[in-house]
Amino acid sequence: MSDNGHNPYNPIPMHIVRAYYESNDRSLKTFELVFDHQKDCDQFFSNYDPGQFCQLSIFGKGEAPFGIASAAWEGEFVRFTVQKMGSFTKYIHTLQAGDPIGMRGPLGNGFPLEDWKGKNIVIIGGGCAFSTLYALTKHVHHSKHRPDYEELIVIYGARTSGLCMYKHDIETWYQRSDMEIHQAIDVPEEDWSHHVGYVPDVVKDVAPSPQNAVAVVCGPPIMTKYTLPVLVNLGFAPEDIFTSLEKRMKCGIGKCGRCNIGSKYICKDGPVFSLAELNALPADI
Amino acid sequence: MMYILVKKNLDQKLSEWSAKYEVVAPQKVEAYSQFLPFTESSELALNEPHNTRYPPKSLFLPQSEVMLKYNKRLNKFDEIRILPEKRIIFGIRPCDASALTLLDTVFDTEEYQDPYWAGRRENTILVGLGCSEPPSTCFCTTVGYGPFNHDGLDAIMTELDDVFVIEALSAKGEKLFSDFPAATNEHELSVLRIQSNAKQGMNQAFETEGLKQTLDHLFESDYWSEIAESCLGCGVCTYLCPTCFCFDIVDEVQRNERVRNWDTCMFRIYSQEASGHNPRPTISERTRQRLMHKYSYWLDHIEKIGCTGCGRCVRYCPVGLDIRAMLRTASNFESEVVNVG
Ligand SMILES: Cc1cc2nc3c(=O)[nH]c(=O)nc-3n(C[C@H](O)[C@H](O)[C@H](O)COP(=O)(O)OP(=O)(O)OC[C@H]3O[C@@H](n4cnc5c(N)ncnc54)[C@H](O)[C@@H]3O)c2cc1C
Ligand code: SF4
Ligand code: SF4
Ligand code: FES
Repeated sequence: MSDNGHNPYNPIPMHIVRAYYESNDRSLKTFELVFDHQKDCDQFFSNYDPGQFCQLSIFGKGEAPFGIASAAWEGEFVRFTVQKMGSFTKYIHTLQAGDPIGMRGPLGNGFPLEDWKGKNIVIIGGGCAFSTLYALTKHVHHSKHRPDYEELIVIYGARTSGLCMYKHDIETWYQRSDMEIHQAIDVPEEDWSHHVGYVPDVVKDVAPSPQNAVAVVCGPPIMTKYTLPVLVNLGFAPEDIFTSLEKRMKCGIGKCGRCNIGSKYICKDGPVFSLAELNALPADI
Repeated sequence: MMYILVKKNLDQKLSEWSAKYEVVAPQKVEAYSQFLPFTESSELALNEPHNTRYPPKSLFLPQSEVMLKYNKRLNKFDEIRILPEKRIIFGIRPCDASALTLLDTVFDTEEYQDPYWAGRRENTILVGLGCSEPPSTCFCTTVGYGPFNHDGLDAIMTELDDVFVIEALSAKGEKLFSDFPAATNEHELSVLRIQSNAKQGMNQAFETEGLKQTLDHLFESDYWSEIAESCLGCGVCTYLCPTCFCFDIVDEVQRNERVRNWDTCMFRIYSQEASGHNPRPTISERTRQRLMHKYSYWLDHIEKIGCTGCGRCVRYCPVGLDIRAMLRTASNFESEVVNVG
């Protein structure tokens, strides 16, 4: 019970180096943050796994959780994509390159990448929850990690082409020989040459094989709800389907009780859970 | 080793300790008692009333606590961590001390140590007062504790006519009392008798065998709306509970402070999400969360019930809801569910 001097409630001082709108309606904005102190940077990257999140902290406004949208190899920065929702996210949207910001993290468990080694990975995302899946895809892309996994299939849906995130980068994925990318929008648009339709239907069409595969689904609750049964029908076992839960959070470190579902704390035991684990939780979601 | 503290020397002893420690002891406040710093003019209330209304968890997790002070313009902050130097909590009841050991499993984990909690725990000596005559609202023996339970204590006192007999339970406790007179055989025999009488005088308030399974089974039943029907959702039962630990973190804009405050799952807003969705929309789901946490989820975590039977929620609920009665109903309710189904 000794005091190691570290206070996990203290925000790490950071600065925004890049800030840009991700969508044409300006509802999504991406921020890339760098550390004010190298030791915080080293500490962060020695702990970070894709699928984890951070609490962004602004004095006078409070804190809110956001998924990490960058892979470690991309550089010594941390990327977040923030959807404008209420007071906190509205304020974050006013920030620009050069502005200071606080951060606590990385928090949560992240994707079980060790367990997935040697498997095909099917990544299915929609809306701004695609952020951590983008980080996951980037992670797997790296030449050091790519041999650890077999096939990589990404299915990503947005309501309109204007809401598609990380566009320029994702367009280059079509040229890659080591993955499949399927993008979809809800209704047809001129100049859109990819899928049209809802994510669960696109998953049905693409019909990824459950053989030696894991699937990970992150998106708006409604998308997740209709995609999970599609995967089950395709033959994916509940142990091989993963998703990330969003709950209200405060401390992010399993102390404040806020994110409790059954005997789990989503911030600490999650946010990533297998469908098998979710099925074992009480209906308190 | 057992020692004695002669009652008429109590104030003097506490004064002596005050020179070296911050001494905190239950004192009379209106109709209640409360843990307050001991001073020359303190009016101790060790036994009358039996226990404090406000739980001593507040000495480790204050109801409101500043975590940092910020300067928004400069984007700088100073961490605030006000910890006692050396402190004695004198006269804490065993239920409240064991509650602290339950909360240690939340606040002092390997992964993340809460430095506020851990610092205060480390610097505090807990001198407990066992309960010779537990009031009728207490039910510690039902939930696996007892009126002379040792968990969390550095020493435990048993009250005799004119002395407290003290049993040191840790090195810290041993050190504090080592120059006190030793208890006689006669003292020790009285202690055994009192402790065993106290324990035997307490009835089993409800059946705990299989209770977790029963509650888990009832998760989606009407049991919760039935037991919660008259609940006002005031949160008193959780604020005063020594094992409840939920807190909120907010920025106090006027004071430029980031503060944590006790929070409660009994409030609607607690689980209200930005989308408008609320997984616990009514008092039934919130009552379910309160009881399930204590009587099911704690068992999943550490195989112990997360209620130490202190009876505060029973004593202070404004509409007289009694957790013991609620839990007794559970097994009846389940047999109904089973019979019908
Ligand atoms: C693990 C996790 C990862 C997330 N990742 C992202 C992301 O990558 N991008 C993104 O745009 N959003 C993400 N969110 C959701 C984001 O945290 C909320 O949209 C945000 O907190 C809303 O704050 P607000 O003040 O703008 O909204 P308000 O409606 O004003 O919210 C009021 C308060 O409620 C809390 N709150 C409301 N909704 C949520 C929520 N869903 N989760 C947690 N706290 C909430 C906030 O702390 C805030 O203080 C994530 C949430 C979680 C739990
Ligand atoms: S639930 Fe009630 S009896 Fe049990 S520890 Fe909390 S306040 Fe005391
Ligand atoms: S003290 Fe009584 S009325 Fe208030 S929330 Fe608890 S059970 Fe409900
Ligand atoms: S957010 Fe505090 S326990 Fe999970």
